[in-house]
Amino acid sequence: MFERLDPRSPTPLYAQIAERLRAAIVTRELTPAEALPSVRQLAASLRVNPATVVQAYRELEAEGFIEMRQGAGTYVREVSPSQRGAERERQATELVRKLLTDAARLGLSVREVTAAVERELGEKVR
Amino acid sequence: MFRAILYQQWKWTRLIVALGTVAAFAIPLFSLRSSSTAMDHKMAAQFLADVQSWGVLYPTLAGALGVLLAIALWAPDHRGRHVYSLTLPLPRWRYVCLRYLAGLTLLAAPVLAVALGAGLASLTASLPTGLHAYPVGLAIRFALAAVVAFTLFFAVSSGTARTAGAILGAIAALVVLQVLISASGSETNILMPVLNALLVAPGPFAIFTGRWMLVDV
Amino acid sequence: MSDFAVEISHLTYRVKRAFALEDLSLRIPTGSIYGFLGPNGSGKTTTIRLVLGLLRPESGGITVLGHAIPAEAPAALAGVGYVPEAPHLDPTLTVSEAIWFHSHFYPTWDAAWAGRLVRDFELDPRRLFGKLSKGQKGKLMMLLALAQRPRLLVLDEPTDGLDPVVRRDMLSALLDYVSAHEATVFISSHLIHELERICDWVGVMDNGRLVADVEMERFKTGMKRLKVSKCPRDLTPLPFRVLTRTPLNGNGGETWLVRDWAPEMAAALTAAGGEIQEVIDLDLEEGFVELLRSFRTRRPEAADV
Repeated sequence: MFERLDPRSPTPLYAQIAERLRAAIVTRELTPAEALPSVRQLAASLRVNPATVVQAYRELEAEGFIEMRQGAGTYVREVSPSQRGAERERQATELVRKLLTDAARLGLSVREVTAAVERELGEKVR
Repeated sequence: MFRAILYQQWKWTRLIVALGTVAAFAIPLFSLRSSSTAMDHKMAAQFLADVQSWGVLYPTLAGALGVLLAIALWAPDHRGRHVYSLTLPLPRWRYVCLRYLAGLTLLAAPVLAVALGAGLASLTASLPTGLHAYPVGLAIRFALAAVVAFTLFFAVSSGTARTAGAILGAIAALVVLQVLISASGSETNILMPVLNALLVAPGPFAIFTGRWMLVDV
Repeated sequence: MSDFAVEISHLTYRVKRAFALEDLSLRIPTGSIYGFLGPNGSGKTTTIRLVLGLLRPESGGITVLGHAIPAEAPAALAGVGYVPEAPHLDPTLTVSEAIWFHSHFYPTWDAAWAGRLVRDFELDPRRLFGKLSKGQKGKLMMLLALAQRPRLLVLDEPTDGLDPVVRRDMLSALLDYVSAHEATVFISSHLIHELERICDWVGVMDNGRLVADVEMERFKTGMKRLKVSKCPRDLTPLPFRVLTRTPLNGNGGETWLVRDWAPEMAAALTAAGGEIQEVIDLDLEEGFVELLRSFRTRRPEAADV
């Protein structure tokens, strides 16, 4: 799950970790009530600052994906369908945003990008 | 802490201590092997001369043990392990004291060996009337000589390499100075007074000079 | 407990005629992992030696865990785990003897932790230290430092020159310890990408001076390469620092290396009459290299750092 964690990326490490966990929870790779590794275990195995793991877990807790039970560990929460839908929408938006930013940097027009999307999908984009 | 330092010092010096202990035990026994109760004057004199020539080995062994032990204790530090001892959480002077005490503890083995060997030799030797054995005195003298040699070279070795070099340099300078003085034709002798001060009582090295007799009149 | 595990103030130290540490001030927040970067010869190891009381400063003050150095060095060192660049243990002792020896000097010694690390690091207890491989020596040094249960870990290039597997094992053990105990870490290394993962503060040394001393995130996100298609005439009102400027394409455009950038500052640049074509992120290594390179290039327009 945490392969290719890239400290060189402009995305902070805690955000990368949170992203992976969020995606895993939404796709049910991590099931509700499943225990996540402790801060200590994850920090040691990923070789990152424990504060980074804490920050990632806190963000996920604030978003409602996990709960940190005092002294009992960290567990995945049940994700409602609307939450899942919102998260998928967010992921898609992120992808498109990145695509459009890169395209702008390369000087490609919207029409050229859309044409490429249609070609790859093999069908017309509405 | 002392136990740990002692163990480490033992590992560094065990060959020296072992050999020294064996030698220290053997010398008294060898020195008295030709004893017999029936000795006339001439034979007794020869016997005592024998004892005296064996006796030279005592100060030699004491000096050698003191020097070698002191150098062996500090050589690894000079070779670069100073950083380790300097980052240990105890003041430098305490560390040096523990090292010194460890060295003295290691010296106890050959000293005891001399005492045991001399005692054994005295008990098993057959001495004519008029000759007495002095094992205790001999052992004490050996102990003191070893301690003096060890303390001196420990002090020199525990300093930096620069200090040791300075001391040797000072000695060399004295010798060179004497050579120059003599070469200029002057009769002045600066080395003799220095040597006298060191070797004649109450100088520090006086204990090494003289006769070392396990058996005497 | 003090806010800072290590406080260096106005430290001066001269190494013959080579270089000098001049008026160095640095503070390591308690509980942080502080990365110490800099080219060889910049004074990192000298600073570490001064902090440990191995060298005596000419002027200035050092406080470690609340104790003045070098006056109260033994008291401070009782809480400091040190992993040096060159393993410096006695080669005539075995692994278990070396551990046994070390344990006598630290009242907070954790024998169980030491035993666990011997297993995790796969060290043979009966092997002589002198016969260990480079990686195994490094692991043993890390083991000794961690088993002391220190409040401050000082690591001088602990994994440089070691193979990736050993580096992972050592870093995992370090972070495991830091997660389980309240400890501050002061680590110097050339392996910038390792530091990038674990440090929350970074200090950069160059030629005896501390040229950066800031949170890791701020350093990374603050260093940017800007492609400026139109340059303002006057750079002084800009809220960020311009380190170097190089011509871009002959149309008056330039590439700027800037420091202390934040996204909101784009407006300030536009207001000053400039126009940004692109903002390029730099990772820690690029930022560090560019920062030092900017000192080497003496351009008259370069802002004084």
